[in-house]
Amino acid sequence: MANRTVPRLLQTPAVVLLLFWMLVPLSMTLFFSFIRYVLNNLRRPEWTSPSIENWRGFGNYQYVWNQDSFWLAIQNSLIIVCGILFLTVAFGIAIAILINRNFPGRGIVRVMLISPFFVMPAVNAVLWINMLLDPVLGLQGIAVAGINDIISGLREAPLVGGFFSLWPEFSPISFRGAQASSYAVIMMVTWQWTPFAVLIFMTSLQSEDQQQKEAAVLDGASAWNQFRFLTLPHLGRPIAIVVMIQAIFHLSLYAEIEIVSRGSGNKNLPYYIGELVNNNIGAASATGIFAVILANIVAIFLLRMIGKTLME
Amino acid sequence: MAIVAQQTKLSKILWPVLAWAVALIIFFPIAYMVMTSFKTDADAVKPELLFTFTPTLENYANMTENYDYWRFASNSIITSVAATLFTLFVAIPCAYAMAFTPSRGTKDILMWMLSTKMLPAAAVLYPMIYMTKAAGLYDTHFLIIMVLSLINLPIVIWMLFTYFKDIPKDIIEAAKMDGVNTWGEVREVLIPLAWGGIASTALLCFIFCWNEAYWTVRLTTTEAATLSKLIEGNRAPEGLFFGRLSAVSTAAVGPIVVLGWFCQKQLVQGLTFGAVK
Repeated sequence: MANRTVPRLLQTPAVVLLLFWMLVPLSMTLFFSFIRYVLNNLRRPEWTSPSIENWRGFGNYQYVWNQDSFWLAIQNSLIIVCGILFLTVAFGIAIAILINRNFPGRGIVRVMLISPFFVMPAVNAVLWINMLLDPVLGLQGIAVAGINDIISGLREAPLVGGFFSLWPEFSPISFRGAQASSYAVIMMVTWQWTPFAVLIFMTSLQSEDQQQKEAAVLDGASAWNQFRFLTLPHLGRPIAIVVMIQAIFHLSLYAEIEIVSRGSGNKNLPYYIGELVNNNIGAASATGIFAVILANIVAIFLLRMIGKTLME
Repeated sequence: MAIVAQQTKLSKILWPVLAWAVALIIFFPIAYMVMTSFKTDADAVKPELLFTFTPTLENYANMTENYDYWRFASNSIITSVAATLFTLFVAIPCAYAMAFTPSRGTKDILMWMLSTKMLPAAAVLYPMIYMTKAAGLYDTHFLIIMVLSLINLPIVIWMLFTYFKDIPKDIIEAAKMDGVNTWGEVREVLIPLAWGGIASTALLCFIFCWNEAYWTVRLTTTEAATLSKLIEGNRAPEGLFFGRLSAVSTAAVGPIVVLGWFCQKQLVQGLTFGAVK
């Protein structure tokens, strides 16, 4: 059985590296989550370094669990992820169907559609929050100012002036703070990840049974019914995959949140952990363990699905 | 039948128009950024100069002066290239062994590798800061290269595995008969045969490394800071510097977007782990 050794040896470096990467930091997080560990504490200097003597049991978990900000962060994480998922799947299906036939310039259209996916997240966020969504200097501000100008011009106009003087002045939305920052993040990430959904749905559409489709057309099935009863069931599996892969990526969104609001807007779970890391390591670690649990709920389903097709 | 014919005639014109319109809308933010990069900072915020302006290369000429662009860019290049090479170096033998001599455990190992990718980075942020500071590795190229390699290793192994699986086993067997050793098999048979797959995997790995924005921001300060860190540090230009910020952003994403066009197909495979065909 000597030829078993060589393959094992070849796999060893990768396995060891990943084992280290998975186990060492995570077990440290686990340990920190059970002790009192606060970086800046003049009153209790013994808590500023990690030690088993500061054992706190589930105290950190309890502390985090009772924080409103923790639940708000979870809520924001879920709102952002669900918003992005819904929009990318809806746009993704629509656009995939739209470009899944031949027309002039299809190659260029594809290239334009895929481009946002390769823009680095930091640039994506800076571009959107400043140049597109800024309430004064961004396109949003310019557009709102333009509309207001037109309306105030119409107020002076004869006949219709009375009607338009009833209209309010529109005011641009500031996306940097509070609730609106989530919407900004949803917008920019949807823009970035719709191409991903389009690519996957398009790949899948190309394997759709054309004969079945032709038969449906001959039977006089409407376009909607063809979509509803043939295309949508065919896309079931790709939709599930798009949803789960994106859920895992977007549960750990960080750069976008940081750039959009610098903490003055809605925080998601990774951002909340990032803030706790500046001081309360115990609580940050407990929150991290909660984040792992949340991600695992999604990951189990995804892995099971991938595992089924793996050895085909 | 007449109605059907009319519909198809209408949709023959309407369909491409709609597709083009959608593509242009989606591409618009990138086009707008590139356009703004050729305006002066003063012109960039004037609504009347939105589409008509005198282009200038001033922003690109001053990129080094304004942002120290090349220091960050060279960090990005060094870390991304080195991480890609190191990842391939570890992944190729591993995927080779998994594809050509699979055992009962292979599937489980692959699934486990994938699960490491699903661990939320934020959960292990502090241990990483703590360990790397203790080891004197914080803000070094070495650290960023290792982290980038580790986060991309599962995807790269997975992609290579799906490519290698499609190579007929007989070819490798034949090489074995000729008395070629394992390293020889990899170098003389596998790499030439799977060259296309390896190249596109490498390209995708490079793109992911380049765009990474969590660890590169949180584990660097100045020495090993990449372009993500540079852009993140200039997140709020207060509207004064749209021109120069667009130029540095365009320079940071332009090459990658173009590279990305060449690996669309592999992207589907790489990101869905072969689950969508």
